Amino acid sequence: MTDVAPTAVDHDRSHDPDAPRTGPARLEIKELAVAFGGLRAVDGVSLVVEAGSIVGLIGANGSGKTTLLDAVSGLVPLSGGRLFLDDADLADYIPEERSRLGIVRSFQDCRLYPELTVEDTLMLCEDARRRVGVLSTTLQMPWARRSEREKRKAIDGVIASFGLERFRLHTTAHLSTGTRRVVDLASIVLANPRLLLLDEPTAGIAQREAEAFIPLLRRLHEVTDSTILLVEHDVPLVFELCSNVVVMQTGEVVAAGTPDEVRRDPRALAAYLGASDEALNVSGPLAAASTPAVPRDEASGEAASGEAASGGAPSDEGG
Amino acid sequence: MSLPPSVVLEGAILGLDYGLLAVGLVLIYRTSRIVNFAQGQLGVVAAVFLVKLYYDFGFNYWIALVIAVALAAAVGALSELVLRRLFNRPRVIVMVATIGLSQVLFLFTVFPFIRPKKLYRAFPVPIDWTFHIGTFLFSPGEVLTLIVAPVVVIALAAFIRLSSWGLAMRATAENAESARLSGVWVRRTSTVAWTLAGALSAVTAVLASPSQTSALTQVLSPDLLLLALLAALIGGMVSLPVAFVAGIGVGVVLDLLQWNITNPSTGPATVELILFLLLLGALLVRAASLQKGARVGERSSWAMGTAAFRTTGDALRKRVGWSGVILTFTGVALLPFVVGVGHSFLMSQICIYGVIALSLTVLTGWSGQVSLGQFGFVAVGADIAAHIGSSLPIVLLLPLAGAATAVVSVLVGLTALRIRGLYLAVSTLGFALFMQTSVLATPCFTLPLIHRTICSGLPNPESTLISRPSLFGLNLSSEQAFAWFSLGVLVLSALMVRVWRDRGVARRLIAVRDNEIAAGSAGIPVVRTKLLAFALSGFMAGYAGVCLAFATERFSTNTFDPSFSILVVSMVVIGGLDSIPGALLGALYLEGLPAIFGSTPTVEFLTSGAGLLAFILYLPGGMAQLLHQFGDLVTAGVTNLRARRSGAPPSDTSGASDLPSADPASPRQGQRSAAGAGALSVADP
Repeated sequence: MTDVAPTAVDHDRSHDPDAPRTGPARLEIKELAVAFGGLRAVDGVSLVVEAGSIVGLIGANGSGKTTLLDAVSGLVPLSGGRLFLDDADLADYIPEERSRLGIVRSFQDCRLYPELTVEDTLMLCEDARRRVGVLSTTLQMPWARRSEREKRKAIDGVIASFGLERFRLHTTAHLSTGTRRVVDLASIVLANPRLLLLDEPTAGIAQREAEAFIPLLRRLHEVTDSTILLVEHDVPLVFELCSNVVVMQTGEVVAAGTPDEVRRDPRALAAYLGASDEALNVSGPLAAASTPAVPRDEASGEAASGEAASGGAPSDEGG
Repeated sequence: MSLPPSVVLEGAILGLDYGLLAVGLVLIYRTSRIVNFAQGQLGVVAAVFLVKLYYDFGFNYWIALVIAVALAAAVGALSELVLRRLFNRPRVIVMVATIGLSQVLFLFTVFPFIRPKKLYRAFPVPIDWTFHIGTFLFSPGEVLTLIVAPVVVIALAAFIRLSSWGLAMRATAENAESARLSGVWVRRTSTVAWTLAGALSAVTAVLASPSQTSALTQVLSPDLLLLALLAALIGGMVSLPVAFVAGIGVGVVLDLLQWNITNPSTGPATVELILFLLLLGALLVRAASLQKGARVGERSSWAMGTAAFRTTGDALRKRVGWSGVILTFTGVALLPFVVGVGHSFLMSQICIYGVIALSLTVLTGWSGQVSLGQFGFVAVGADIAAHIGSSLPIVLLLPLAGAATAVVSVLVGLTALRIRGLYLAVSTLGFALFMQTSVLATPCFTLPLIHRTICSGLPNPESTLISRPSLFGLNLSSEQAFAWFSLGVLVLSALMVRVWRDRGVARRLIAVRDNEIAAGSAGIPVVRTKLLAFALSGFMAGYAGVCLAFATERFSTNTFDPSFSILVVSMVVIGGLDSIPGALLGALYLEGLPAIFGSTPTVEFLTSGAGLLAFILYLPGGMAQLLHQFGDLVTAGVTNLRARRSGAPPSDTSGASDLPSADPASPRQGQRSAAGAGALSVADP
């Protein structure tokens, strides 16, 4: 496996000594199989996610999409096949170590940590990257204090840019689903990913907010300078956003290619998209979605004009 | 050697009682997902009342029995009505509530209208059948157990399998919310389960009482509870028949062990060790089935935690808090000048309990692991102090004993890697019992199978004096000096736990507790973090044990009674599960109040048991919540004073959230200024 040079927007990260490698990573899946008892949830899937690309994974419920992500992040044991991140065989890494390789995962339920505050949730991402021993924390050694200060500075920036300031001390359990998603995205940015596994980032979010996710995800892709593998039910969003689309059915890949190819692929249509236009138009006409959507604040109902990167502002259930 | 049938049968009869208890535990666990510590006590009131009816009022035995069982069923139903209010609270809190319940129920047995006039009379038995095996005579009470217990369990199993109530119970156990939506009256189902459990408990008490000397049966003792839990665990906490048969098995095995091991000095210790190992084995083997479905339960058990309040980041509020803390500790530090020697001793005792409670704040409050054996770890530290305390300066001894205990704690915690939350309660309880009988009460015990003798206890625990050391030349032998020393240890411990809370340790523990998978994916080493909680908690319990050994200066078998572990859990719950001042307040409440205001055990029980229930029911955040509200009030008052002095119109006194000086980061402030919130944008980190 040869090194793949970063192809996306080139950010200068040479000042960051923590990351052993930077830039988007290339994921290669070879004959991947995952079985739960007799059920073969993923059955011989091979695909390559090129460095810096956004690949969408679509398919009906139970077609093995989430299981595929689980396999890449190491949460389920493989019953066959191999996984490579650039030239590293992922079989050598347990889930905690995979995050050090730059594989970052978001979850469908986006439960996060119910009793941690937003601040602590974000600090946690920094904890994983800058480890400080318990003993030096207990004795409040100078390096432990410095590290804690640096972490706080890093998350202060992210909290400000995501507009999370007023939720800083709220526990996650008290946030709305939409706000939790934003916190989740903020922790993704902090985690400095090279390969980003997103599991239905728009699940549980109002349709209007979901539209705003297209520019948001695009900006996320740019800012984190990563490769994205995205599982999503919102087909127009996938077609709009992704450079490649993979359609899965009962654990197998039935179609793959650029959005245009897949849209014309009869097998893809049969497997998931269906013959009707309804599924294709969940997020509204594609042309409309390509212009930046007007973000809305759910709590105030007041529209706020913003740059292309704006999305639905976080809102609070109890507010 | 051949097995004498009389020993086996005797064990089986004892085992029938364990089995009945286990069935009761399983019954409640299946519907409410809690380990019911009151299971033994539910029926004891009725059993005592039966004695009164039979002897004092001259009732016919059978009529008295029916009345007693009905009374126990009513007690069960009433208990459920009380605990029902805790439906959505963390399971550990409900579990502690059952401890309080069992103490309150114990009080009922000493009420004059329930308590019989003469206590030491044989418990009535309706039959006088006896039989011999060899030279061993089986008493009528044992014959009764042999007949009645299986019949009761079969009837219960049939009820659950065949009736619609049973189906509803099973559905509730699987998924309470779904069951509710499909028309099962979940709460009434739970009432039925508790009613049954009450009646079952009465039967257990009536069958077990004839072999006891006093009609006043004590609260379900930890060792009896452990045996019943062992049986229930073998049944996976779901299967009634398996739990029952396992109970019989446990009885037989125990009796055979006791018959086999003849050495009276090492015997009990070895039996306890084997029991502990059996328990660990049962836990590990049954881990898979215990986890099944429990995940969902655990999820809800911690999601509705005690985090009802948070610090708001307001500078004035912080200053008020710190002033309060400093004033309190200065006041306490001056106490030994005023109070007598006895109260100085009490003060060191409370301080040490405070440290132990803090160790549970880390383990239970943050990591979500319920330890009922914290005194087992305390005992490890105390044992170290007793052996090498005189040869090491105390500044070295404390961290050393702490580190050694941390290792032991991690070893016990290894079981927690496969099982979570409440189940750990069982293995830690087993550990505490093992420490009490094996390591401390007996000087030596023999390891089973390899027949190696380990001597870790004191040759003569009751008469060995553990002399207090000196600290940097200061003699700690006076009670006053030691009280200051204990206070110093407590202050340092509280500061240490505070650092852990604010500087990154606590958030890792809580993250792993709340969402193991996400924490793992985010790069937090899950296994290491879980064990870290045990290490930290064990460390604190270890050096607290050293202090306790020096404070009491000698051990007895009761110094490390496992019931103290339960007391510490109560402290943490009363104080507020994840709060540092809460743990200290809890220690003060449970140790200080009974010692200051009452000396009889009855009064102690009243203040702790009933108080515990009242706290859990009416003050979800524990005493820490009260303290926090008080701090808010003071802050508001100070703000008003300042405003008045500077001539500005005073703000209203509704609380800290209305402070004009409040930081914009204050969440309550933030919620109101919803308009103009920053639009969501992603910028470069």
